[in-house]
Amino acid sequence: MLLVALVVASGAGFWSRFGVVLGKILKSKKDASFHLFPIGKRIWDFVWEVVLQAKVIRQRPLPGLAHAAVFWGFCAFVLVTLNHFAVGLGLGFLDPEGSFGRFYFYLAAAFALACATGILGLFVRRFLIRPKWLGEKLSYQSGIIAFLIFLLMATYLASFFVADANPATRVLWWVHTLALLTFLPIIPHTKHLHLVLSPATVFLSRGGFSQIPALVGDEDFGLIAGTDLTQLVSLQAYSCVECGRCTEHCPAANTGKLLNPKEIILGLRGYLNDLGPAASEPLLGMYNAEEAPFQCTTCGACEFQCPVGIEHLPILVGLRRGAVNTGAWENDYGAKLFLALEHGSNSLGLPASDRDKFIEKAGLPLFDGTQEYCLWLGCMGGYDPKGREIVADLARVMNYLGASYGVLRKEKCTGDPVRRLGNDLLFQQLAEENLKTLAENKVKRIVTICPHCVRTIQEDWKDYGTPPPVEHHSEFLARFADKLPKQRDGETIVFHDPCYLGRYRNVYDEPRSVVALAGELVEAPRNHERSFCCGAGGGLAFLGEETGERVSHVRAAELVATGAKTVGTACPFCNSMFRDALAESGDGAPQLMDIAQLTARGLPENDPS
Amino acid sequence: MSGIWVVLEERDGRVSRISWEAVAAGQKLAALTGLAVNAAVVGAQTERLAAEVATKAVSKVVRVEHSLLAGYTADGFTLALQQLFESENPAQVVFPHTYQVRDYAPALAARLGQTLIGDVTAMDEGPVFTRQLMQGKLNGTYRHTGGGTCFVSVQAGAFRADAVEAGTAEITIFSPTIEAAQIRTRPSERFRGSAQTVDLGSAQMIVSVGRGIKDADKLPIVQELATALGAELGASRPICDNGWLPMERQIGSSGQTVSPKLYLAVGISGAIQHLVGMKGSQCVVAINKDPGAPIFEAADYGIVGDLFEVVPALTEAVKTAKQ
Amino acid sequence: MKIIVAIKQVPERDAQVRIEAAGKWIEEAGLQWALNESDAYALEEALQLKEKHGGEVVVVSAGPERVGSTIRESLAKGADRAIHIDSADLGNRDALGVARLLAAAVKPENPDLVLTGLQSDDLGLGQTGVILAELLGLPHASLILHVEKTESGLTVKRELEEGWFQTVELPTPAVLTIQSGGNKLRYATLMGIKKAKTKEVRVVAASELAPDSAPVVVLERVAIPTKQKSTQMLGGSAKEAAAALVEKLKFEARVL
Repeated sequence: MLLVALVVASGAGFWSRFGVVLGKILKSKKDASFHLFPIGKRIWDFVWEVVLQAKVIRQRPLPGLAHAAVFWGFCAFVLVTLNHFAVGLGLGFLDPEGSFGRFYFYLAAAFALACATGILGLFVRRFLIRPKWLGEKLSYQSGIIAFLIFLLMATYLASFFVADANPATRVLWWVHTLALLTFLPIIPHTKHLHLVLSPATVFLSRGGFSQIPALVGDEDFGLIAGTDLTQLVSLQAYSCVECGRCTEHCPAANTGKLLNPKEIILGLRGYLNDLGPAASEPLLGMYNAEEAPFQCTTCGACEFQCPVGIEHLPILVGLRRGAVNTGAWENDYGAKLFLALEHGSNSLGLPASDRDKFIEKAGLPLFDGTQEYCLWLGCMGGYDPKGREIVADLARVMNYLGASYGVLRKEKCTGDPVRRLGNDLLFQQLAEENLKTLAENKVKRIVTICPHCVRTIQEDWKDYGTPPPVEHHSEFLARFADKLPKQRDGETIVFHDPCYLGRYRNVYDEPRSVVALAGELVEAPRNHERSFCCGAGGGLAFLGEETGERVSHVRAAELVATGAKTVGTACPFCNSMFRDALAESGDGAPQLMDIAQLTARGLPENDPS
Repeated sequence: MSGIWVVLEERDGRVSRISWEAVAAGQKLAALTGLAVNAAVVGAQTERLAAEVATKAVSKVVRVEHSLLAGYTADGFTLALQQLFESENPAQVVFPHTYQVRDYAPALAARLGQTLIGDVTAMDEGPVFTRQLMQGKLNGTYRHTGGGTCFVSVQAGAFRADAVEAGTAEITIFSPTIEAAQIRTRPSERFRGSAQTVDLGSAQMIVSVGRGIKDADKLPIVQELATALGAELGASRPICDNGWLPMERQIGSSGQTVSPKLYLAVGISGAIQHLVGMKGSQCVVAINKDPGAPIFEAADYGIVGDLFEVVPALTEAVKTAKQ
Repeated sequence: MKIIVAIKQVPERDAQVRIEAAGKWIEEAGLQWALNESDAYALEEALQLKEKHGGEVVVVSAGPERVGSTIRESLAKGADRAIHIDSADLGNRDALGVARLLAAAVKPENPDLVLTGLQSDDLGLGQTGVILAELLGLPHASLILHVEKTESGLTVKRELEEGWFQTVELPTPAVLTIQSGGNKLRYATLMGIKKAKTKEVRVVAASELAPDSAPVVVLERVAIPTKQKSTQMLGGSAKEAAAALVEKLKFEARVL
């Protein structure tokens, strides 16, 4: 009877907080662009990330395994725990003498051992080793939870060494029970809420990387106040386990800026706790600095790493939208960028005739609807001297391969920087105009040197029409790798994975196969999906001086430290950011070359193209 | 109708250079139309000015004088010249295209039922007048088709002040009737922009220095050129990063955006971050020892050479020209 | 304060200039249109004055139907209402003729202040504001960078040649022509565009306001200047190149 009362009390304690949280999530605005189906990917992600703990382990192997041990321990203990309470009511269903019962109890014991070891390890890490990503303050909640979990496993294991008749059995049983019943109400009051929420969070993701939802109706301008927080955002805010993996790889947080992705999410949680989803106070200002979201390069390392399924990018862009779509964001450089695109064709504010002159001088063929590829120049390819060199070299290679291509007479900026900065008015105008140009010119297929153009055209323009398929020039070149000359005695080349090609598009091997044609590939310490941003993304290339260390310099130093003779890039923005940074390294600095340039230099000398 | 009238302006007590250019334009117009050229000077004390004008080949010089014309005001000058022209009934009036003229001449023309053909760069048989349209991308040919006076103003440098022929002219005085209450605006003395902060954004001329200077102690070479031109000093990012010049002088995407009449890029390669900061310049001159430097694409005039030779030579040439 | 801003829709600055068949103007088909640059600064000055002193900002623009998009852009940036003077053949009027249209639209509004941009990016006459002041019988000042409201009217900062400035005091109502660069322009926002949908745009036919009168000045034809736009490289010794450059700057570029 006492047991029942305690269980009820524990349950009530759980619900008193969980009910509130669930309420806040459900009371939030509905997500208009959320679709449950197709459900296949959701199920797969759930199995991979939750059941198999793949993300948790992969990005931080040792702590990840420890955590997996604890998690799997919990899963294995379901039957044990149910049986435990059933026994208390005289209704035990797992017979320790029976074959299944015995098998199960020993299996659970193995898990319990792994779990106890795991939780001990995690305790040591958090309280003794103290990695800085877990934050400055020691979390007593974590200490208590760790203790309870250890106690649960210890009492379970101890029960094997105590005969049933021993009164110690009953003590162990009660200690275990009390530990459980104490644990339950603590869950929703701490970050251990993720035990309940994160499986749902992973399952209910938006369905794509950096999936920015469309604005709904005439009153929606982005994330301004509590009333703009949607159910998914609230769910994600409450799921945060404060592991700090997002912050660990954030280029802004790593260079002394105010932005800390973990704090952005926790700030929203704080807002929901204090004010709720119906509040009209601004989200920024109290819980997070107003400038913080504008220091984000949208590199995606945060969202990519998050083991509980939080999608930081739509939130950061949402916060920016709220400030930009209402005109509240006052920034000279931002205004300059927007004004340049309001009436001009490119983000640099240069006259379109400059691009025309380049096309003529470089002898690039014009697209006339008959060629297979439209070579999209983009702002950097059309106007930046270095970007133009990259385009010219790519054209040489395409000529060599006999590919049929042309460049459009007129291009407008794809709108990537304004999209990431949250200016939906300008983005819509640019997307619609460009889609019209593509349709008028009967473009069937696009290849371009800039991963930002690739992403924006292929994914973001979908909000306003149907873009033709787009590929990055690394994908194009890799397809023809066997037809391109292999350079002998090539130097060491360290390849820097662009954020918008790697994390955003999952393209890692293609540029490497192109680099391998030119020289010896060297990996940077942080490579593939862990690549450290060059600092240009999210519109930041246009926003002037940064505070703290310069992101590009930090990454450049890392690349230089590999000792490679050449830094290989696949994005004109990365190229531009590293140009000055590498020059600072003095005369021994590695040369900087795009993969198109690396390929072109291998073409036969007397090749007429 | 009494011929062609040129309205001259003073600068530091003498006839301004652009006014002489207007006289040259008037004399050209005389050649085209066979009409006589007359000159008018406006102010409160115009004796010396008139005497200067009277040494040129004009028919007469009229001193439009009134105490209320001591300083320029739109109301004062419009009233005075309206009265002069109503009495003289010119066929043509030629102004120099100055800020002052832009402030009152359109109103004057409108008052007399006419429209000014402003900022003229050439004139031909007709007479027809050429002016620039679409920020210099087009030339337009204008003709005065109505009856009455044709008003034009001429662009600085379109006609040559030294082409004005010498001669002698009679001087007369014209006293317009102006009441104090008719002058509705009160202008102050002129002043410079604040000397403290560097405001490259409003500079008319900028000399900009880049990595080609190699060393901070070579900067005075470029500074001298800037001083000779009366230009502000600007720099590309690396110069400011090194602390050779303060950050406020940085021109580029993370610095200032400038749009001067003249931009001289010395030892600057022309990376995009710099180009976006100065693309609005009216006239760009580039000096660089690398003939392939991208800055030359953006320049109207380029000199491929060693800046340590070219810049001092240019400073001398500028000083000579200004004498 | 009731402020009227006269704005003009002009071809985008980037525009490829081609001459139409008759040779009298440029080919307008396929052009992109935009708000004249100094008019944007005039609008910005008006909006800032409204934010400081309250009141209303009304934009007036003359031209064919396409002018509507530029009017909407001004409403989106914060103007309260607009008057569209519908005219299909504005090109047949000279500056005086256009100013007469604007004066007829502006007069019944009885504004405290009328702002225009300094000059248009296409014709570049820079006269409309000054003529407008004359027709309305109001005092004016041109090349204005900054406007301040005072007890007795306005104090404005005027640009002079060669880096000099002066302040001018004048009573209201008055007309000012605004120079570019005096303020930081605001960008168009989604919120602004949505709000603009409900703002009034009154359309009035040009013929109703001011009858067509023959222009006294006519643009007979246009031509592309023969001067090349490519870079002129000056060679020879340092001294020779320097001398050649100074000559070019004085007489060709006319910037010295």
